[in-house]
Amino acid sequence: MIDAEQLYGRQILADEVHLNNAQGVQLIRRPALAIQDRWVLCQRCGQRTLKKEVRLPGNKFYCPHCFQLGRVTSDQWLWSLAEPNLFMPIASSPLSWRGKLTPAQASCSQQVRQYFAAGRTHLLWAVTGAGKTEMLFPGIQWALSHGLRVGIASPRVDVCLELAPRFEAAFKSIPQIVLYGDMSGTYEYRQLTICTTHQLLRFYHAFDVLVIDEVDAFPFAADPGLSFAAEQAKKESGALLYLTATPSRELQRQEKQNRLTVSYLPARYHGHALPEIKVKTTGNWRKRLNQNHLPGKVNRTLSQLIMKQRRFLIFVPHVNDLPRVETALKKQFPPLKLATVHATDPQRHEKVQWMRDQQIDCLITTTILERGVTFSDIDVIVIGADDQVFSTAALVQIAGRVGRKADFPSGLVQFFADSQTKVIREARRQIRFVNRKARQEKLIGDV
Amino acid sequence: MQTCLLCHRENLYQPTLWQLLNFQTVSQSPVCTGCWQTFEPIPADQACQGCGRRSAEKKCPDCQKWQADSSFSNRALYTYNAPLKRYMSQYKFNGDYRLRRVFQGQFQQAVKTLQADLIVPIPINQSTRKQRGFNQVLGFLEGVETLAGLATVQSDKSVPQSAKTRQQRLLTAQPFKLNVDEEVFRKKRVLLVDDIYTTGRTIRHAAELLIGAGAREVIGLTLAHG
Ligand SMILES: [Zn+2]
Ligand SMILES: [Zn+2]
Ligand SMILES: [Zn+2]
Repeated sequence: MIDAEQLYGRQILADEVHLNNAQGVQLIRRPALAIQDRWVLCQRCGQRTLKKEVRLPGNKFYCPHCFQLGRVTSDQWLWSLAEPNLFMPIASSPLSWRGKLTPAQASCSQQVRQYFAAGRTHLLWAVTGAGKTEMLFPGIQWALSHGLRVGIASPRVDVCLELAPRFEAAFKSIPQIVLYGDMSGTYEYRQLTICTTHQLLRFYHAFDVLVIDEVDAFPFAADPGLSFAAEQAKKESGALLYLTATPSRELQRQEKQNRLTVSYLPARYHGHALPEIKVKTTGNWRKRLNQNHLPGKVNRTLSQLIMKQRRFLIFVPHVNDLPRVETALKKQFPPLKLATVHATDPQRHEKVQWMRDQQIDCLITTTILERGVTFSDIDVIVIGADDQVFSTAALVQIAGRVGRKADFPSGLVQFFADSQTKVIREARRQIRFVNRKARQEKLIGDV
Repeated sequence: MQTCLLCHRENLYQPTLWQLLNFQTVSQSPVCTGCWQTFEPIPADQACQGCGRRSAEKKCPDCQKWQADSSFSNRALYTYNAPLKRYMSQYKFNGDYRLRRVFQGQFQQAVKTLQADLIVPIPINQSTRKQRGFNQVLGFLEGVETLAGLATVQSDKSVPQSAKTRQQRLLTAQPFKLNVDEEVFRKKRVLLVDDIYTTGRTIRHAAELLIGAGAREVIGLTLAHG
């Protein structure tokens, strides 16, 4: 037995469903797997699979792409109830945020609100440090005060957990829920939902306004199921807004062909250009690192930084490189206060805090710190930027760690690589492109 | 591009030189070499002849202690290490039936070596079968002629365990019943196949039943011991 409320705009996989309070609602039932000639098409995650690959005894089929939410088989149904928007009426403005948008932010924000109202799909391209969350507030205020259901989703749990308190503070009177894989609580029906994009697979025509944050390399080369999940989680009449800091060439092509509308915010809120990426070529950084040494050029750059008493992040390609660089630095620069951090480091949050509190001057890290963290007045070094773990989006984000605060809007972004790969060139091109655009629009002064 | 079913990275097709020289057509393994190498095979000549675990002695200390049922001997193909546990969880609990193909070659070879008259897979109970949609042991044995000689006994849930006499409890401990006529097993060498040998209780229960039905000899084959 399940409460009707649990099923508003949701979809659950089951043989059958019994509702507690079934009066006045109509259960919607769809086959979980669509069977075609040679393919099966999953109605939850949208991926298709060759039938002969996933045939079970008894001529049944399953989807091998979305196991985490329980296996979808061809003899099951997806059950849902239409979203009724049963929220408490809101008397006054729900926005408790009292900050001010820059004129450029305000104009983007205005466009976003119009696309929300029109129920359209739109992309907001804002550079790292543009203040895009704040730009969403007016549009979301409009949606909430009209009794609409709003969802904010990101592929990364870290981003969701970082966004949640900001939305809670900005909309104090609106009940919200945060959903992710290993959360401790259970699902509740709320007007404002913040969740991982993976959790979107549990929704069906729920949101009047859905925002997908931190979308790399639109249109999601890495995750073809994402646009399906987003389309299905929103109402058919609902608005869909994608946010990105790293526009791919494909995105620009789609915009030119008028297949997508885009708002640009090519400047940071403080009105200074993005620091551009500098590259120095190394002989064979992999060999040097494996011998616990740094390439000579890296050493020279670092000693200059240390002499100027700069504080910096060093990005390395792999977890194994962390102790190597640490050993080399301790030998070369004994007084330097440093730490290493990686994704499964139990002290991860503490170490980030040490760097913020200036207890250490150097943090050596894998790509986990590429986004979501802000340090004041730092430089960034990447050793082995030509390694294939770094995507263009990752390199742009890494460069975006520098100069985020209005008090310290600039700094050094120095990459070391054996050669300038296509990925590095594309990252440099993107940053130069947005700076050029920002200058054209007079959003930044001359630097 | 083919991706490895376990680590989801690219799975390059690398036929051996021998296969190329002999123009053999080999189907590509569904897992990559990297994942494949994390499994630990137990060579037949380094295994305990009782339970099948890796052992320097002919009988491991455990099997020496339990000499009583020394008539049964189990062959385990792999040690049940962490990567194999992960494999089993993806295969059984996710229900990714594609993974049955990973060890089919190893099973075919072992079945050939063990030369039994009948090959009987350990059955799984009805509700698991319905939910999972397949018997994981039968998946390993695709293409091998097997006999559904056993069925699971529906446990009688209406009477709590404590209310039963000791006699009844011992009886209900046998989880299997014969699915075919006793006659079929008479004087036969039977190979029982299961996925994991843990305490050996399951497979030994099945063996007892078949010996009782008149089988000449019952041996076991499991994917793993652990
Ligand atoms: Zn699916
Ligand atoms: Zn693999
Ligand atoms: Zn033993």
